Amino acid sequence: MRIGSAKQSYLADQALFDSTPQRAWFGVLLLALVAFPFMANEYWLYLACLVGLNIVSTTGLNLLTGYTGLVSLGQAAFMGLGAYTVAILQVRYGSPFLLNLLAGGIVAMLGGILVGLPSLRVKGLYLAIATIAAGFMTHFLFAHWASITGGNGGMTVPPARLFGAELDTSFRLYWVIAPIMILMVFGAANLFRTRIGRAFIAIRDRDISAAVLGIPLMPYKLMSFAISSFYAGVAGGLFAYFFRVVTPESFPLLMSIFFLAAVIVGGMGTISGSIFGAIFMTLVPELLKLIVGWLPLGDNATLVLSPVRTIVFGSMIVLFLIFEPHGLAEIWRRIRRLFHLWPFRT
Amino acid sequence: MLRTHLKKWITSLAVTSVLAAASSAWAQEDIVLGGSIPLTGVFAFAGIGIDAGIKDYLKIVNDAGGVKGRKLRYVPEDTGYKVDASMAAFKKITSQNKVSLYYADSTGFSKTVNPELERSGAMLMTGASFGKELNDPKKYPLQFMVGPDYSEMVGILLNYIAKTKPGAKVAIVYSDTEFGRDPIEAARTSIKKLGLNLVTEIVTAPGSVDVSSEVIKLRRADPDYTIFHGYILAPIPEFVSQAKALGMKTAFMGTFWSMDNSTVMKMGDSGDGFMGVMPYRYYYDTEGKSPMLEKIRQLHPEYQSTAYTQGFLSAMLMTEAVKRTLDAGKPLDGKNMKAALNSIANFDTGGLIGTPITIKGNSIPVGRIYKADMKQKKMLPVSDWITLEQ
Repeated sequence: MRIGSAKQSYLADQALFDSTPQRAWFGVLLLALVAFPFMANEYWLYLACLVGLNIVSTTGLNLLTGYTGLVSLGQAAFMGLGAYTVAILQVRYGSPFLLNLLAGGIVAMLGGILVGLPSLRVKGLYLAIATIAAGFMTHFLFAHWASITGGNGGMTVPPARLFGAELDTSFRLYWVIAPIMILMVFGAANLFRTRIGRAFIAIRDRDISAAVLGIPLMPYKLMSFAISSFYAGVAGGLFAYFFRVVTPESFPLLMSIFFLAAVIVGGMGTISGSIFGAIFMTLVPELLKLIVGWLPLGDNATLVLSPVRTIVFGSMIVLFLIFEPHGLAEIWRRIRRLFHLWPFRT
Repeated sequence: MLRTHLKKWITSLAVTSVLAAASSAWAQEDIVLGGSIPLTGVFAFAGIGIDAGIKDYLKIVNDAGGVKGRKLRYVPEDTGYKVDASMAAFKKITSQNKVSLYYADSTGFSKTVNPELERSGAMLMTGASFGKELNDPKKYPLQFMVGPDYSEMVGILLNYIAKTKPGAKVAIVYSDTEFGRDPIEAARTSIKKLGLNLVTEIVTAPGSVDVSSEVIKLRRADPDYTIFHGYILAPIPEFVSQAKALGMKTAFMGTFWSMDNSTVMKMGDSGDGFMGVMPYRYYYDTEGKSPMLEKIRQLHPEYQSTAYTQGFLSAMLMTEAVKRTLDAGKPLDGKNMKAALNSIANFDTGGLIGTPITIKGNSIPVGRIYKADMKQKKMLPVSDWITLEQ
């Protein structure tokens, strides 16, 4: 049982980690992340990288939808902008990959600001529909600006290079994706210790009240779109280096729905929710496949149980929403509280 | 002295037995065919057939003793027809097995996995894609497709049209996707080369429902032949029925993925006379000698789709590449298997393709024109087998 965490300053109150056990556990997590590539096989490393880039994008969308209350179905489009920017820079100019990722984020950010303009007039479902347009526009751009984007066939991206080594395996890419993911998650967590983050939350809770409090809605809403799409752009850039092929069909509307589902399942308006949501949406289908593989049902197990697996995954999402509308982050909080208060219950 | 002798004898016995055990293990090692197979999702209708086709062919081979005493083992994973899931399946299967052969579910995945494939150099890959881009042995040296690429499919249709009605007016209707746009550039060139007349090109969304304005555009162009590409079914039935209602006489044609018998029969009466290119014989085809089709009919008394045949033939050609590589005493790697595959000339597929095939590059540019007969509920051949020059 934790006796208490008395805070003696505002700084201590705002700290990301407010106790020694938290810092210790975070250290353990970092060590585990460092040790992981040496213990995992290629399959788990691939999934780890995929989870990493999905966490970056989900965190970005959570900033916009979870923290600012602006529903967006344009996340895949922004990722596409980032991915194509990275692909073009890498193929045409061979510029350093960190610079390319930054450029990918900035281009996506500009796209986000443009798409965010309707948010000044519309909200909720109306805004979601408006952001779908981003997907159509970018798809058209990628498919028809063939001289730059390679048209429908898309672009094949050479591997990123770091200190002369080609980042062409999941093992090598892990050492890039994991730190970027940590950096971006920390960036998002810190954002909500600042005036900007608090303004986002105020806008989400009641935009008129926020305006009355002196928060100018236009710059802050656009800023939220900008930051969110920057995250999507960086995730898209990582996607380009990870899959090494970008085509107009790599970023469908379904991908945006995937990230929105990750935000909702994980927990809207929480950083840990973004992490849990991305992990859940990426890994649960794979874990279900593993479970199906273990069942002693013979050669036809994959064929027979594949549709069942899809139904189970869908049902799990629905059940989570029914029994824990605050998402996985809330379940995590309850588990932590249980340990903090043990042996007492509440 | 005796002790030294005994020591040497025991050592040599141990070494010999270890070597013997290793060589017998090597001789019995399974040859693994991995597969990213779309058993769920939008392409499941084909994936289930492909899966069954691969399983059946491998069972036939294994029941006959395998390849040089080695069994072929099939390790599939469902992908839902998503590139990231296909890659995950690839990583999972290849990290748990020593994979020599692989089946890919889409053009996107075939392109994505290519650097990995070349880096490993251990596998030969084929798949469900007939994308023109993959038909480049320099860019995709370890891949091939079991039939003509999409441009070649349209080329076969155009060859048939040029022979049947020289100077005919042709329209192309395609979906606004990578799949749909794939053969268009090549089709324009072929149309010019064959002295045909391209009267209109119509682009639609894949699976679109309301196509009335497009049908009016088609009517204005009044083509003799209308080629669809980039669709499975919708909006082809809508186009065909509306065009027939308007009294149009154009002959409608399709490419492989819209040509399965069950797909065409879904068009109903208005689909009567629908034509298209098919690189394989249909399940019920009894013309000529086709022992493999006989075998399939024995295994399954009910109709098997053309996707099934595609899977079956994929397994057959990959097995043939393995057999030729092992016969030549070469290591079973991607480069050797691809070279073995490219040594296939005038090969009899047991009647699955009605003409002997030669694989020079990454495709098999062979096909035949079939036409729907709604009374018999069958696709019937209207041309001989057409082989394009590579």
